[in-house]
Amino acid sequence: MDTLVPHLQSAWQWATGSAFAFSLVLSILLVVAFVSVWAMFAVWLERKASADFQVRLGPVYVGPFGLLQSLADGLKLAFKEDLVPRESDRFLFLIAPAIAFCGAFAAFAALPFSPAFAAVDLDLGLFFVVAITAVGVIGVLMAGWSSNNKWSLYGAMREAAQLVSYEVPSALALMVPVLVTGSLNLKEIVGFQCAPIDAGSSGAIYLSANGWLALYSPWTFVAFLVYYVASLAECKRAPFDLPEAESELVSGFHTEYSGLRFSFFFLEEYAMMFVVSAVAVLVFLGGWQPLPFVSLDLGGAAGNAFFAVVFLAKCILLVWVQMWLRWTLPRLRVDQVMVMGYKYLIPVTLGALLLMALYAHWGVRYIPGIV
Amino acid sequence: MLTYFKNIVDSLRTTVKGMQVTFKNLRRPETTVSYPEELLPMPKGYRGFHTLDQETCIYCFQCARICPVECIEMKADRVEKKFLAWEQFSVDYNKCLFCNLCIEVCPKDCIHMDRRDGSAKFALITDDRSTLNVDLLLYAGLSETDQKAVAKIAADRAAGIETPPAKPAAGAAKPAEGAAKPAEGAAKPAEGAAKPEAGAAKAAEGAEKPAEAPSKAAEAKPAAAKPAAVKPAAAADAKSADPEAPPAPETHEA
Repeated sequence: MDTLVPHLQSAWQWATGSAFAFSLVLSILLVVAFVSVWAMFAVWLERKASADFQVRLGPVYVGPFGLLQSLADGLKLAFKEDLVPRESDRFLFLIAPAIAFCGAFAAFAALPFSPAFAAVDLDLGLFFVVAITAVGVIGVLMAGWSSNNKWSLYGAMREAAQLVSYEVPSALALMVPVLVTGSLNLKEIVGFQCAPIDAGSSGAIYLSANGWLALYSPWTFVAFLVYYVASLAECKRAPFDLPEAESELVSGFHTEYSGLRFSFFFLEEYAMMFVVSAVAVLVFLGGWQPLPFVSLDLGGAAGNAFFAVVFLAKCILLVWVQMWLRWTLPRLRVDQVMVMGYKYLIPVTLGALLLMALYAHWGVRYIPGIV
Repeated sequence: MLTYFKNIVDSLRTTVKGMQVTFKNLRRPETTVSYPEELLPMPKGYRGFHTLDQETCIYCFQCARICPVECIEMKADRVEKKFLAWEQFSVDYNKCLFCNLCIEVCPKDCIHMDRRDGSAKFALITDDRSTLNVDLLLYAGLSETDQKAVAKIAADRAAGIETPPAKPAAGAAKPAEGAAKPAEGAAKPAEGAAKPEAGAAKAAEGAEKPAEAPSKAAEAKPAAAKPAAVKPAAAADAKSADPEAPPAPETHEA
């Protein structure tokens, strides 16, 4: 990578005269490749996890352990007819999947996979991710409205109501670590979690002063739980999968979609699962650091690759827990979802935020006078 | 206010409990069996494709005779009067009605429908009905031990040693054995002793059979006579070679 990129870059510069265009195109290509591969892997993981929880086998025939099953399914979807209902709002119907996908896709730009492996290093990274993922709901609303189908409209409205409600607790929950670290830069938040206990220490392995933020204090732990629950609702996962509640709404907002456009909604869902898990990992679970209170300082390409693998493993674990919850909890009713968001999650997060603010003001982590 | 906090605690508690339950399921081995590659053992008494224990079969025709649809076809030659050189033991599943009579009647308990080894099948689905006339033989001709025994008898005869197989089988096996082959090793007489005994059993049954057979045949005939009368063509076909067999049931069905 270190040697290849400058050559490619100079070639591209020669062709276009712009270094910016090169890095832009390369970043976009990398993210597109990653999202597609991730979506295929996540679909496979979902099917295997479902099978495991239901004491079944899951896909076994296509490729080793059925790994290529999602590729086969994707191919099948790509060759299916792209139906557009006659009475639909054609233009909105056609662009809705792209907009829905864009929200989740753009969030990848700001996610650092390791200290040096991030598409863009944004100072407002966390804010950007939270804001851009909310764009997806516009696509969902457009899909539901333009389909001219009652089920689609119900699903879209539920999605809008749910996402708007759960943005609040999830953003508030993310405020707690922001309060502690004093930064919205995702890299700096991870840096806070792996800061050495004494500033002068040097070496590959050292004790960290703060540790993972989920274990930093009881209030950050509460914030982590709240964020995780709210993020489930944000990416329409069970038990909050009301927008596409199969037993009630056929398939919710994407009832009328087929072929490649349908698969874009699928991509969006799995990309969102990764994004919310990645934010939880970066903000609460030490990002790319493998251990809670012991940090590693690895440089170079190998170190970065190792960190990226650790980060991916943590994200996959959190996504797997989402699947675990899916096969554990039954779907909530609409009013229950709203009650949970407004009457429980928001007050609890506000309480955690307030206590964390007071404790931060006093400069203590847990209980005044003890720690 | 109290219920508010109780609700929070309850929701966390029940979620954790539910997740424990699902986790328990996660660790259980899969109950799914990938059917064509992996097969479950059949329960006792299951009626599927037949398996034949060729070594113990004595070629007594009881099964073929009792079969109400005459779907069992067997053919073997007796070599040296007691060894069976198999040519055919086929069951035509175009006709078989899985009535279990052939299993019940077998005196040596050598034909089964509830056992499955590599050669036996239990799925009848097929595009080609001619494949449903299944030969149950695991090998044709003599079994390996029989081949050795026959070869030995032939060699003995060529050497001029008098070893009439029928006589020791009819009489007491042991003393005749010792007298006939004093020069043989220790292992050979033991093997030879087993064989004539089997021969003796066969002979004894052969003696029983004529007495038993008429009654059995009388029982079987009324059942067998009906299908035979309805489809003489099918009965004739069952006797002929395999390729001839399939058209018969099909025309019969039509």
